[in-house]
Amino acid sequence: MVDIEIEIDGKVVHGNSGESVISIADREGIEIPRFCYHKKLSVSANCRMCLIDIKGNPKPQPACSTLASAGMKLYTKNAKAKAAQKAVMEFLLINHPLDCPICDQGGECELQDVAMEYGSDVSVFNEGKRIVADKDIGALIHTDMTRCIHCTRCIRFGAEVAGIVEMGGTGRGEDLKIEPFLSEGIQSELSGNMIDVCPVGALTSKPFRFEVRSWQMNSIQSIARHDLVGSNIFTQTHKGKVKRVVARDNESVNETWISDRDRFSYQGLASEKRCLVPKIKVNNEWREASWQEALDFAVNGIKNNNSDGSKFGALTSKNATLEELYLLQKLTRGMGSDNLDYRSDFANPAAANILKSSISLAELEDIDHALIVGSHLRLEQPMINHRIRKATLNGASVSAINAQTFDSNYRISNNLLTAPQNTLATLSGVLKAVLNEASEKQPDYLNSVVVEQAHKDIADNLLNAENAVVILGEHVNGNPDSDGISQLVKDIAEASQAQTLNVSLTSNSLAAEQVGFRPVNGKNALEILASDLNSFVMFDIYPDFDCFNPESAIENLSRSDAFVVSLNSFEDDSVLKYSDVVLPIASFYETSGTHVNIDNISQSYSASVKSAGDSKPGWKVIKVLADLLEIQGFEFVDSCEVADEALSMTPSTSVARAKITGSEIPEISTVWQCAPYSVDALVRHSSSLQETQIGQINVASVSKATAKLLKLSEGDLFKGVPVNINNSVAEGCVFVHTYQPRKC
Amino acid sequence: MISDQAKKEIDIWVAKYPTGRQSSAVMEALKIVQAENGGSLTNDLIKAVADYLDMPRINAQEVATFYENYNHKPVGKHVIRFCHNISCMLNGADDLISYLETKLGVKTGEARKDGLVSVKKVECLGACVGAPMCQIGDKYFENLTEQRIDEILDGLK
Repeated sequence: MVDIEIEIDGKVVHGNSGESVISIADREGIEIPRFCYHKKLSVSANCRMCLIDIKGNPKPQPACSTLASAGMKLYTKNAKAKAAQKAVMEFLLINHPLDCPICDQGGECELQDVAMEYGSDVSVFNEGKRIVADKDIGALIHTDMTRCIHCTRCIRFGAEVAGIVEMGGTGRGEDLKIEPFLSEGIQSELSGNMIDVCPVGALTSKPFRFEVRSWQMNSIQSIARHDLVGSNIFTQTHKGKVKRVVARDNESVNETWISDRDRFSYQGLASEKRCLVPKIKVNNEWREASWQEALDFAVNGIKNNNSDGSKFGALTSKNATLEELYLLQKLTRGMGSDNLDYRSDFANPAAANILKSSISLAELEDIDHALIVGSHLRLEQPMINHRIRKATLNGASVSAINAQTFDSNYRISNNLLTAPQNTLATLSGVLKAVLNEASEKQPDYLNSVVVEQAHKDIADNLLNAENAVVILGEHVNGNPDSDGISQLVKDIAEASQAQTLNVSLTSNSLAAEQVGFRPVNGKNALEILASDLNSFVMFDIYPDFDCFNPESAIENLSRSDAFVVSLNSFEDDSVLKYSDVVLPIASFYETSGTHVNIDNISQSYSASVKSAGDSKPGWKVIKVLADLLEIQGFEFVDSCEVADEALSMTPSTSVARAKITGSEIPEISTVWQCAPYSVDALVRHSSSLQETQIGQINVASVSKATAKLLKLSEGDLFKGVPVNINNSVAEGCVFVHTYQPRKC
Repeated sequence: MISDQAKKEIDIWVAKYPTGRQSSAVMEALKIVQAENGGSLTNDLIKAVADYLDMPRINAQEVATFYENYNHKPVGKHVIRFCHNISCMLNGADDLISYLETKLGVKTGEARKDGLVSVKKVECLGACVGAPMCQIGDKYFENLTEQRIDEILDGLK
């Protein structure tokens, strides 16, 4: 890469040798029309729209595939270039229908824009246009392939970014069609980006189809908060409703992509199941109430059932905003209680999960080895997985210690199948192997550990890498040994001089950590749900999905002496069963807030739309509750003040070293993973996401030998989930991956 | 779906390419399974070949639909591959193809009910000097006329 000087349209500009001319022009703000070129995809140079004149070259050349060399003189707007661009434009429009008025892309269409700028008024083509039959490619993307101009961006996106080659070009010449194989739907978790890259109306958003014209909407900057990345998005609204979500560029966070979960979850906002008015339970009968009445009812209930504060507990989901978490924390502590937690789905919330991430999203691309521990990374954190995939494309290798071999979009060279009850032993083996190889002293607890060849292989991979990362995933949360596991992951990373990445605390968990939403001396989530506390605030909790053991949690909360105030955005039968008041709160995009992502970047966003019905932003409801409970320190005017105060907190970082002691080893254990489109209430109510193949994930995988021990056969139901016997699962465990409610 | 014999033949081709590049054998593999299936491919066969070569199914379909050598509908015992590119076209290929269709009672791309013959329009076969021309099996028939076609058809059994 040498800095060179070239001349574009008489302007001297700088670039790197080997850089494409179009990217230099883009940087300099010199406009060159294009369809197939996309800055994040490979160059195919098949649309020919970016033809420019190069001095000394007899014919115009495509700017996307022409590499800059010193002294080049380029003309993007001279007669030769213009004639070429105009001719290509006419050629591209030969088969393109003139149906802009009924096309969803109209108004935001690259073809439309470029045709206006570079095209001719009339076409000399007066033969018939070709028509291409459409295929149903799933619930998210609508196809109108007659409009396709064969730029192949969607094909390249699938092959290069999503890592699943789904779209392809079949046939030849005029019969060329862009389509997936047969009528197999698109399966990628990033498929929605094909809509964004498509320069015409061939691929458009299915849920958005015919909703509203693009120019009638307001675009509001927002943050997607289903995962740890906090992808930057635009919510596009019309008449107070979110109509669409599209990606917003932020190179260090989500580049230009977003996951389907972030893109289509907004549909849940319009669900019929929204909580719209406050409800109170009087004499075991639910009735609607005014906010005033409901708040008084809630406050009286809390006061009457809570003499000294120690009988009060608060639980929240990890989807709450930083502000909500902070205020609820302040309320709880103001009540004199330390019973608060956000980890209601953890098997062992007593664990500290001390692992801190030491590598940023952008740096993940430069690693040369990743060890994944307990994570189906592709579906858990699509955008983080995408960074790892980019690293693998640059030659990085990946190994894993997982209970199942997951379908990944890169090669996992070394996958050590490990049931949850053996994870501690496996990690100990790896740590010992690492210490042995590095000839370092071993702590005593490793004395009795046996190092197997598989452990050595993993250790070698780590030690041979110069820039490795150890990734701790979600599965650890359901493991009673989580404390030891996260300690060992930390030790392994330290001993092998690898970085760490903790993706087990998902959504906005890091905000909860920031504001100290976990007990210091009080009761943790499991204890709160099993205790004899008698007044509760449950913020955004849907026990069937959010509690580790829903059945016992619901039973305990339904006690006659327990007064439960629930704040929810969606109606839920289990919530009604145990609650005494349900206060409707705003869902995603309806409230201002802050998301703390894995790089510890706090991204604030404003409300895109007003909250549905009579529901109110959660932070306001908590503030008013606190005021009515006469707790001091809630004089906030807007959520920014709350965020400022929350971010000024210094979370306690000193965590004692966890003990590496295994819990009682069950013969056969279960890993229960929530399917990616069931992780929070909003996605669960997004009908199109639920229709996709990922939304329909519902399988209990078990090995042949384990199935025999459990007397299970193919198709039986294991905790309500159909059994699939295959050899991808570790012996001694059942791996449940499902959209269904959790069963302990 | 793919017989053991066919797999053996495919493996010979796979072995010619570096490890991990087994998908390079897709053209030969499709040819082998097509031959075994009586001269045409089905979607299931394309899928089976793709899965056997561990490559994306759509990529196998791209290859199978790009080249004329692959047939996607059942073919007759004899496939008359009729050139309709420029030299043959200028010398009356289109009329001869219509003649052939009427005479045999089939449409191009389809097999006659008795399964004896099918007609397929193909791109240039490199025998422009003898245009119009067609290929049946491995044999080229050049300088075709309606009369010559009658003679050729009489010889097909």
